[in-house]
Amino acid sequence: MRMIKSNYIPHKIYITQESLRFPLTHKIISKLKQIPHEIINNHQSLIEDFKCSEDPVSQGKKFILLAQQKGEFVKPCPCTPYYLGCNYFIINLELNCPLDCSYCILQSYLSNPLITIHVNLEDLWRELDVFIAKRKGSYFRIGTGELGDSLALDNITELSQDLISYFRQKPHVWFELKTKTVNISHLRKLKPPENVVVSWSLNSSIMAQEQEKGAPSIAERILAAKDVSERGFWVGFHFDPLIHYQGWEKGYAEVVKMLFRQINPAKIAWISLGSLRFPPDLKAIITKRFPKAKIFFDEFIKGLDGKYRYLKSLRLKLYSHIVKSIVKHGGSKIPLYFCMESKDIWRSVLGWEPKGKKEIEQFLSCPLADKKLVK
Amino acid sequence: MKIKILPLKDINFQDERFRISYYFSLEKLSLSIKEIGLIQPPLVSVLDKQFVLVTGWKRVLACRQLGLSALPCWIVTGSNPLRLFLMAFYENLTTREFSLLEKAEIIKKLKGFGEEERKIIRFYLPLLGLPAANYYFKIYLKFSDFEPEFKVFIHEKNMSFHCLELSANFDSWERKLLIPWLRVVGHNKQKEILEYLHEISVRDGLTAKHLLNSKEIKEIANSKNLSPLQKANKLRLFLRKKRYPKLHSLQLAFNSWLKKISWPKQVEIDHTPYFESDELKVNFKFKNKQEFKNNLLKLQKVVNQEKFSEIFNLNLNEND
Repeated sequence: MRMIKSNYIPHKIYITQESLRFPLTHKIISKLKQIPHEIINNHQSLIEDFKCSEDPVSQGKKFILLAQQKGEFVKPCPCTPYYLGCNYFIINLELNCPLDCSYCILQSYLSNPLITIHVNLEDLWRELDVFIAKRKGSYFRIGTGELGDSLALDNITELSQDLISYFRQKPHVWFELKTKTVNISHLRKLKPPENVVVSWSLNSSIMAQEQEKGAPSIAERILAAKDVSERGFWVGFHFDPLIHYQGWEKGYAEVVKMLFRQINPAKIAWISLGSLRFPPDLKAIITKRFPKAKIFFDEFIKGLDGKYRYLKSLRLKLYSHIVKSIVKHGGSKIPLYFCMESKDIWRSVLGWEPKGKKEIEQFLSCPLADKKLVK
Repeated sequence: MKIKILPLKDINFQDERFRISYYFSLEKLSLSIKEIGLIQPPLVSVLDKQFVLVTGWKRVLACRQLGLSALPCWIVTGSNPLRLFLMAFYENLTTREFSLLEKAEIIKKLKGFGEEERKIIRFYLPLLGLPAANYYFKIYLKFSDFEPEFKVFIHEKNMSFHCLELSANFDSWERKLLIPWLRVVGHNKQKEILEYLHEISVRDGLTAKHLLNSKEIKEIANSKNLSPLQKANKLRLFLRKKRYPKLHSLQLAFNSWLKKISWPKQVEIDHTPYFESDELKVNFKFKNKQEFKNNLLKLQKVVNQEKFSEIFNLNLNEND
């Protein structure tokens, strides 16, 4: 696997027989002419073979599987029980990601370790048409960055262009591309629609360096965000997962400072906050794959949803610190929200408590009509 | 294959290459052989000019215990060790559940007899009721390498997979040190002790041996007033406090608040696990109007205190 800045190139492409009839398959093959490909009949058997390897997660990142999405492309974001969801919808177009973040939930969440691209885009557009038609008249947010990085494979797929062209015609939908990469070359060619947000996951520089293997530095991500925001795109930021480590206050304050030095707050659609959390079965995988990552041996408790998370008192400190920094640097008008947190946390840190996910949805997407870009 | 009456002395008991089970009781089987005789003859192979047991270890050992001098055996021809081992494996597979240590032994022997790793993972692990993943192949190999003393302990205490998995984090010396502590507690407390010990050692960059030899733990071990169970529980609580210092201090702050406001003993008060929610729960019993009124009055007295509201800032006041 080679990852020079954001140009991921796989070792090999596996293509299911049935995927050969889709244009995206041929586009990817022609983009990766130099890479060997193999047509396979049974991708389940291939997946089982990968699971036999010493480190299926690392091994899977070296290969691309082109397959057909047989189930639904669009699903509600699963969030987590007992904590507040935000009514977000996800598009399962790509699974897995060439980046190798130590805390990534996909290491245990997905049973398929290969980087998988669902090539039956025609079915996606059809499904989206129906999905959006059903929600006509109400604003909502949808994105591709939950089970993969929205832009990490864009040099190969160019899907950002197709998706943006599609959502440009759907003005009551906020479409979000969520990434850690600086793979923005295709975005640069596009006229920015008013309902598209390109967002970056941020961490402190040291945590990004230590825990987000293969991802560009925080400074590079912020510069990429500056580039697209100056071209007229909305940008968003996700401080998630916030990690508790020696020197975290300074580390996160510096990132917030760096962010607001480069980005005009008026162009930021939203900022989300979440702290490090993981399901119990992920812990064994993490400690085996990242034995030096001591962050997973901090004081975690089992939250109401059964996932490990920091004690509430510590989460409050982490969030309050970031929010204060954001406000201090001119971000007081930016909508802030939490990912997988309780009403108590909202009330204590932001001073208000949403009644439920619908209210968070309204808070984040209703101003769409009012959020005219400051040019 | 043909049946032959084989003198027990002709069987090479030292050769355990096909043996799967090590820890078992012969009591019931000996009784059965004594009462109705040996129904199913064991399988024996001639290897290196010696009779080597392929299947039926329990049966042969029970016969030996009963003082029999010979027994009928199936003599199997062919010397492919993997094939012979598979005979032992399949004979057992169809009749019973394997223990964790037996599964570990089977995986180790399949590997030792040259079975391909991929085939062990994809084909044999599911037969053993395990997921077809490399992790299980590797962890069971680790279990098979546990020292005999610890294996006996696993068998005696019927330790869980998770406890074995945690035990694999320690070296043989550390496991030996752990046996007396783990012997007296159940699965959940075993798991807690193993987990805390491992996580503290990783977090603090210390070996478990170092921790187990620390002054505090030695003091618990040498305490003359405590029973073995009390000692193990004290160790568990000591490790828990060390692993979760912030949680421990929150609990102390909560207890101190109860004391400060003289919380009435008749009224139970509970916080959510790990203080995850701001909610508190009170609970009291009453038999008549007067008892109910008394409890309310006691609570009223508590509420009127200035310090009462401190509890709602517990999470905010906790120091990093």
